[in-house]
Amino acid sequence: MNLSPLDWFIIVAYLVGCMTAGIWMRRFVRRVEDFTVAGREMDVNLGIASLAATELGVVTIMYTAQLGFEKGFAGATIGVIMALAMYLVGRTGFVIHPLRAAGVMTIPELFEKRFSKGVRWLAGLFVVLGGVLNMGIFLRLGGEFLVHVTGLPTESRALEWVMTGLLGLVLLYTVMGGMLSVLVTDYLQFIVMGLGIVITSILVIGDIGWTPLVEKLWLCWDGTGAEAGQTLKAHPFNPLHESNFGWLYIGWMLIFQIAVVTTWQTQIARVLASKDEHSARRMYRRTAFYFVGRFALPGLWGAAALVHFSFAGGLPEGITSLTAMPAYLATLLPIGLIGIVLAAMLAAEMSTDSGYLLTWATVIYNDLISPCVRKPLTAKAKLLITRLLVLAIGVFLLFYGLWYEMPGNAWDYLAVTGNIYLASVFSLLVAGLYWKSANATGAYAALVLGAVGPLTFLVVNLVVAKEKQIAPEIAGASSFALAFAGMIVGSLLARRPPALPAAEVAA
Amino acid sequence: EPFVIFWTVMVFTSVY
Repeated sequence: MNLSPLDWFIIVAYLVGCMTAGIWMRRFVRRVEDFTVAGREMDVNLGIASLAATELGVVTIMYTAQLGFEKGFAGATIGVIMALAMYLVGRTGFVIHPLRAAGVMTIPELFEKRFSKGVRWLAGLFVVLGGVLNMGIFLRLGGEFLVHVTGLPTESRALEWVMTGLLGLVLLYTVMGGMLSVLVTDYLQFIVMGLGIVITSILVIGDIGWTPLVEKLWLCWDGTGAEAGQTLKAHPFNPLHESNFGWLYIGWMLIFQIAVVTTWQTQIARVLASKDEHSARRMYRRTAFYFVGRFALPGLWGAAALVHFSFAGGLPEGITSLTAMPAYLATLLPIGLIGIVLAAMLAAEMSTDSGYLLTWATVIYNDLISPCVRKPLTAKAKLLITRLLVLAIGVFLLFYGLWYEMPGNAWDYLAVTGNIYLASVFSLLVAGLYWKSANATGAYAALVLGAVGPLTFLVVNLVVAKEKQIAPEIAGASSFALAFAGMIVGSLLARRPPALPAAEVAA
Repeated sequence: EPFVIFWTVMVFTSVY
């Protein structure tokens, strides 16, 4: 273990403070609305802290650092695009303004007002499948980071036990206080995370030096300087270069990120918990640039790890492009600071887990169970069901995401459910809010075709040779086009007055 | 050079 008593003190102090604040908020939960959308009392800055903390988990840091390791600074282009999407949506109010004005608790709830109860239920199923399965990789990747930074023994299943304990703490305060506990702990976690990220970034730049880092990255790309030869296969600075993302992928990413920031339920949960539409839009505008750092700063650590190992004879045995960054940080962080950085990463993991657990439990209760219940439930029963759902999702993730290792590329196949969610729900939201002629038939067609697209591309890519596989930007754009085509054709074929005009839904 | 300048600005401005 690389931890000193000072490091342990910092980590324990963070955990005790976080748990105390989370459990303390339980006293304010009286109704299911308090538990799921914080009584719609969330103001802008608390929203910024919660949105930023929820959407920056250890899984994000690991993947964005891997992008930095494999594509240099150009890997952070997706962060710039996401920030642009956040700002545009915050500026125009596209989707989020009428969605908050509708006063719903979840996105599928809007679909019952606009289309039908059946559409709400089916969309709710898509949202839950896409969301919960997407979350399956969080725990193991979070554990991988901790193992490599702390030097935890890998053969004793320490990773599994540490992550089980961490999820247990998250479940405790999330089950007790719901969104109110999530908001307060997110606020604390936002501060600890920010501190850890700033300190680590300054240390990394100080370790290699900015100009040497830029020059050595270039040498890793042209293969003339590093001992290990050409260790970088993509242009480290130009995302439009043919070796990097390219124009087509960047164009597709802009559309994809607009869909993500307007339909991903964990982000929208903060919109729906806001005091009003204008607070929600302000929150988006002010959080936008945070998403550049979400990619650029871990990307900086990943690029520095590449330079460090390339000029030290190559990657050590057992270290991959995914685990190179934590392995590099383990050599860099001094006593005391490693405690702060670890507390920051625990904060990143806990804030993401709590926000996601609550969001998917809310959708299951609100859109899958509630529409099927004939007798109205008491406030106590509603709260009990939602709390049990948070617990059930936590147990499911422990088993499928941590203790049971799924065979082969199973998670890759499950990730396709995320694409199904985005393509179908985005088309329903845009048409439901902005096209008066959209109806339930079109909505069903969009849901079905939104699922058919990603599944077809998945099967095609499984059977054809690697060089003939469909590029992700082509598959993604085609899935969105199919869902929108389903909505338009289905609505026109079954043309009749909609259940409620779009303007009335948002009134 | 323009890309190097762009990423220098992005990283230092990000450093939250």
